[in-house]
Amino acid sequence: MTFLRRQLPLLITFVMGVVFALQYYVPHPASEQLLTTVNKWLQIIGGFALILGVTSLFHQHAVKIRRREPGWGYSFVLYAGMLLTVAIGLWVNGKETSNGTMTAFGWVYTYMMVPLQGTMFAILAFFIASAAYRSFRARSREAAVLLVAAVIVMMGRVPLGEHLLPISGDITEWILNVLNAAVRRAILIGISLGAVALSLKIIFGVERAYLGGGKE
Amino acid sequence: MTFAERMVHIDRRIIFLVIGLCTLLPLLHPVGLAINVSPEVRAVHDYIESLPPGSAFLLSMDFDPASKPELYPQAVALLRHAFKRNLRVIGMTLWVSGTGMADQVISQVAREMGKTNGVDYVFLGWSPGVGSLIITMGQDLYKAFPSDYYNQPTSSLPVLRDIRTLRDVNYVVSLAAGTAGIETWYVFGKDKYQFELGGGCTGVIAPGLYPLLRSKQINGLIGGLRGAAEYEVLIDQRGLAVAGMDAQSVTHFAIIALVILCNAFYAVIRTHARRSGQERVGRVAEE
Amino acid sequence: MRGQASGVSRLLLAVSSVLAVWSLPTSTDAAELSPPRDVQAMDTPSDEGGSVIVLWAAAEEEDPKILYQILLSDGRTSAQAEPGAPATMARLVAEVPSNSHYVRDTRWPWWNRPAAPGAHLYEIKSNKQFQLKDGTPYIVTVAAVRGGERVESKGVEAVPQPNWINWSQLNNLLLVILFGGAVLASIQKAKRREIFLRRIPGLDAVDEAIGRATELGKPILYLTGAGDMSEPSTLAAAVILGRVAKRVASYETDLLVPHRDPIVMAVCQEITKQSYLEANKPDAFKEDSNFFITTDQFSYTAAVDGIMLRRKPAANFFMGSYFAESLLLTETGASTGAIQIAGTDSDHQLPFFVTTCDYTLIGEELYAASAYLSREPIQVGTLRGQDIGKGFILGIIAVGTLLATVGVLFQAEWPGIILDLFRDLK
Repeated sequence: MTFLRRQLPLLITFVMGVVFALQYYVPHPASEQLLTTVNKWLQIIGGFALILGVTSLFHQHAVKIRRREPGWGYSFVLYAGMLLTVAIGLWVNGKETSNGTMTAFGWVYTYMMVPLQGTMFAILAFFIASAAYRSFRARSREAAVLLVAAVIVMMGRVPLGEHLLPISGDITEWILNVLNAAVRRAILIGISLGAVALSLKIIFGVERAYLGGGKE
Repeated sequence: MTFAERMVHIDRRIIFLVIGLCTLLPLLHPVGLAINVSPEVRAVHDYIESLPPGSAFLLSMDFDPASKPELYPQAVALLRHAFKRNLRVIGMTLWVSGTGMADQVISQVAREMGKTNGVDYVFLGWSPGVGSLIITMGQDLYKAFPSDYYNQPTSSLPVLRDIRTLRDVNYVVSLAAGTAGIETWYVFGKDKYQFELGGGCTGVIAPGLYPLLRSKQINGLIGGLRGAAEYEVLIDQRGLAVAGMDAQSVTHFAIIALVILCNAFYAVIRTHARRSGQERVGRVAEE
Repeated sequence: MRGQASGVSRLLLAVSSVLAVWSLPTSTDAAELSPPRDVQAMDTPSDEGGSVIVLWAAAEEEDPKILYQILLSDGRTSAQAEPGAPATMARLVAEVPSNSHYVRDTRWPWWNRPAAPGAHLYEIKSNKQFQLKDGTPYIVTVAAVRGGERVESKGVEAVPQPNWINWSQLNNLLLVILFGGAVLASIQKAKRREIFLRRIPGLDAVDEAIGRATELGKPILYLTGAGDMSEPSTLAAAVILGRVAKRVASYETDLLVPHRDPIVMAVCQEITKQSYLEANKPDAFKEDSNFFITTDQFSYTAAVDGIMLRRKPAANFFMGSYFAESLLLTETGASTGAIQIAGTDSDHQLPFFVTTCDYTLIGEELYAASAYLSREPIQVGTLRGQDIGKGFILGIIAVGTLLATVGVLFQAEWPGIILDLFRDLK
């Protein structure tokens, strides 16, 4: 049992990690075909994993309904929404339009999903304002520099700002193209090295916490 | 609680109301200020302008309905420009949740410009795989998409004549709201198959893509609603993006004003606290 | 009359002298147009096939009036003709000016260049007009054209083949091996003696956050981000969850871990269970502490916001990769008065986390968290190896900038030898 839970996953991780690290250096079409095939396996596993997720979701809400926890009525709404959308989608083969007319699935997509997602994204505008009001305080010299830069960029990115202070557009371009690009590159280098080190640890079995189970 | 302290801890809903009004009123009463075009947006426009009629232009609309306000106007502007230049347009998406919207935008603009599906443009739809999909498209487009979104066999479509792989595409633009997006197209596409790549993205991820722009991994970048407005100005067809710029201007200034006010009240509180501290020290010294 | 005659003759002499000088053959006019020298054709090195390269020597002085034409024909056609004869029925692939298309302008680094930098090179790839089939011989000819003159070289054969190794990326592989070696060496060093780690305030605050939640009798909310198990940030988040769960288990505080990915949920369930076992509190473990919500970005955000507003956790942990939902989550969490600790490698969301959370782990601090919390020699040694890598890159940037400047100022090519070693690193 330990072999299946520990040694075998570690062996698979090692072999696949080394093979696909080396795959990058092999331009032969067979190498690309291997990558494409393994990606397809990932999609298939992802499909099965979704069953796992949906089962967990159903179970969680079934418990909520059984125990009559606060808000248990919404669990019924969740069940109904999920099953109805799946049924409609299967009925019209997943198409939003058919011969130029909108299908029921298309109606659900256009009049429910699109506005709801758009609303959630739009809330960000309000949250940005309240977060900025609460946090953009010149508590220190660095915070003051951040504040000034933020004000200049906010002005420079809109026509009204460029109209009132024409130079704000040029300064904004410079901040974005020079300062911002340089700092992003630095963060990217650090993150990339960290990711390589973590990947090497996992491939060589040094990091095993993701397997769960006990330490040996 | 002093006035300054009350203002620093103001109810968030008042801020929400201010932002709501600043967004709504300019949309109802637009002003129409001039929009300066940035070099990175102009680069995308100029490249499309340089393509001869009949060139293949692939537009990958890699966003979902949440990013519609920023990226839909970009898609409309790019498609209008491409159709005006009589380019052969290939539409697709890497995001399954954006398929319906991508189909909507390409069909709507094509209808407006009098273009025919299958002859002037094709919408391939979505196929699973992301990176491996792009690799497959780089080897054989018809293997990646044997049929288009409307189940027409792609190998028989006049618009895809002479296009076998991504190497035969003259320009690819990815309109991205995150991952998978522009970086995916570069790593799995341009780096291997050497086509020219441009990008469009939401305002929040635009700063992170400037390193790609500076190192010429992408030839241009349309950032956010502002980028879409600049493109509309370039093609001389003002639409949703230009209309939204007034609202964005006023909202930005509202946030600037709120931040300045907050700092002013904060300064008052600190001065007051310092003075109270000094008075207390003085009283203790006297005692 | 004699005066006029001598004047006219002098004028005629002058004119004819000018004409004679003008019509003197120049060095270019005098030289016959010669065919391109040392023409070679071969399979393009380090590629996926379907392409050949043709090389020929550059002239001592390239006449800008000369154009080079590259011609390609199917090997079977010219096999019927005499060997070495110019190809018949050849297709014109390209016509390039004589002062262009040099080896030094190509993408190959110096160790993989097919010829000297000063030689001409043209890569013939499959395109819309013709396809080069792997394994099929082709005859390539180069012709020099000047005005109405045209001379061709002898045909040379090349067979396109896919290659198994991309030698151009050798520098990349060597640097990865070097970096891996530095990490392993640091791990060995860390096993022998203690290595200093600078303070990371966000990680010091983990205990404080868990303690606060226990005192208030409220749950702890832990998010693993938007990524799946293939992303390093999600792996780091899962590892940190193990440490957090162990401390939560010892205090018997409620732990809520909503997920966006079913595989991540399964892995985190195992990790949490193990943590409770290690804390000797197996009975306190709840199966449904890790639960799946949805893969959709904003649906997940709405659900988690709802959990925050209803359950009012005292501590929120945002670890992993995030996108637009980050501010929606953190601002809602801030409104409930929870202590918030974030850790992400999504640099575009960092401003939002920094402004709304009490502590933020930036980029690789997230990957370092596992080492910081456990202080295991292996983990700390890896961190040290990363720092060595970063120091090396910093040094290379400084030296490289200097070398590139020297190369440009003095028009020297030797800095390129060193700069090429760090070219195309990804």
